Amino acid sequence: MMEFLSSTFTSYVALVPVTLAQSLILAFVVMGIMIPFRTLHFPDLTSEGAYPLGGCVAGVLIAAGVNPALAIVAALLCGFAAGCCTALIHLRFRIHTLLAGILMMTMLYSINLRIMGKSNLSIFGTGSVFDWAPFVTPGFPAAKIIIAGIIGAAVFVALNWFFKTEKGTAMRAVGANPAMAEAQGISVWVSTIGGVGLASAFSATSGALMVQSQGFADVNMGLGILINGLAALMIGEAIVGKHSVFRQLLAPFVGAIIYYQLVSLCLAAGMPPPDLKLATGLFVLAMLALPSLKRGRGGAPAREKFRE
Amino acid sequence: MLEIRSARKTFYKGQPDEKVALDDLSLTLQTGEFGVVIGSNGAGKSTMLNAVSGAMPLDRGQILINGDDVTNTPVHKRAMRIARVFQDPMLGTAASMTVAENMLLAELRSKSRTFARGLNAKRLSDYKERLSILGLGLENRLDTRVELLSGGQRQSLSLIMAVGGSPDLLLLDEHTAALDPRTADLVMGATVRAVDALKLTTLMVTHNMQHAVDYGHRVIMLDAGKVKLEIGGEEKAGVTVAKLIDHFSVKSDAMLLGA
Repeated sequence: MMEFLSSTFTSYVALVPVTLAQSLILAFVVMGIMIPFRTLHFPDLTSEGAYPLGGCVAGVLIAAGVNPALAIVAALLCGFAAGCCTALIHLRFRIHTLLAGILMMTMLYSINLRIMGKSNLSIFGTGSVFDWAPFVTPGFPAAKIIIAGIIGAAVFVALNWFFKTEKGTAMRAVGANPAMAEAQGISVWVSTIGGVGLASAFSATSGALMVQSQGFADVNMGLGILINGLAALMIGEAIVGKHSVFRQLLAPFVGAIIYYQLVSLCLAAGMPPPDLKLATGLFVLAMLALPSLKRGRGGAPAREKFRE
Repeated sequence: MLEIRSARKTFYKGQPDEKVALDDLSLTLQTGEFGVVIGSNGAGKSTMLNAVSGAMPLDRGQILINGDDVTNTPVHKRAMRIARVFQDPMLGTAASMTVAENMLLAELRSKSRTFARGLNAKRLSDYKERLSILGLGLENRLDTRVELLSGGQRQSLSLIMAVGGSPDLLLLDEHTAALDPRTADLVMGATVRAVDALKLTTLMVTHNMQHAVDYGHRVIMLDAGKVKLEIGGEEKAGVTVAKLIDHFSVKSDAMLLGA
């Protein structure tokens, strides 16, 4: 028993830096999931397609000798366009947001294959943004932690500022109450398209960073990313809360860091990797079911109109 | 000034349950006038209000505000000129946002939103002052999420949000109907004070005949998508609840006879 614990602990600790680097990169996907789900009340699945889209775009560009930072910008723009399409499909044709997301991610799979021309592409040995980390040897996890951390901090500060500006407050209002937002002169279309586009841009950025981190792009790299992101988001929200802009924006980062450490711990303890998705799915289900279980019998009550 | 010119709206057109909600309805409200709309369920009151706010496109006819044709202007652009208080307190406010944030959204209704910080110190003190008029203590709860307020508090907040910035037209959609009598009086009192003080052109829909008698310059009774009766000026001062209800009963008698 003691031996099992100590071997688990040793292999877990050895993985901590790598996992931390990975979680800081994937925090952007979690952010890309949080913004539609929480801020816009637009349950969105585009990230499952936008993440590999970002990876494929960045992979192809870097393989062609483009500056890695520029490759990230290109990936970001492609992700933004993908998100805009999802929002547009929903708004223009009144198709459910989830179905619009499924349509988009299915179509993106083909597009991603077309972009790369094959199902995976190695960019091993070419330059990456992680080579520019100060003070550390390129290629080590520390470099990735520093670069992803810097970008993450910048994104956090920028979003925390934006959502408190007049425009940002208006965007949050669209998520909180679209009818009221419209009656207050806010264009639901502009806010929704812009917001979902922004979210997918983050997912694509994450993909572009991941490709540079792991040295290859793969069309299947997005498989299950959404449910991982949701699990991370829920952990983050359980820890830091979600009732202020600051907390809501912090949740994806905290959640991503803790979630991937937990995954790493499970793997170190000998959990077979194929079981991971089942475990994650059950975890998300449990988190979603918790409020209903707490209430006791009978499931969800009829929606309360308002308090008096 | 609000002008509705031969507005027509048919629901379920061409189907067996076709319903004419607005039947070439025309109505003019002068600048600064306070019109009170009454009528039985299905008379077209809500459809008319939705047509004016832009939430429901007309089949035919025109809506003009201060002489400008806004018939094809989308809701969010009309909001530059129109403020609205809904019947359901849930609808008029953003529940998950704070009192101050809701006030900010309302203040920006007729302005273009910028990348400047929304809630600055000047705005916060202004909101404090405007909310203190209500006497509900909302001025000390600027950072409270609106979902934690009672229905009456939310509706009072909606009202303050709507009258701020002196809209060209104020639409009140049975805005006291969901409140208990005491709170309803409180909200109604605040409404009348604000409308009088700011000389707002106001269109109020109500089922409360006493309110129709007590408030406003003109009573407009709708029936089957048309203006059935208008009582204004001197005559309005002499009207009683009983007289108004008479007009309702005439209609139901007619229905009985017609049946």
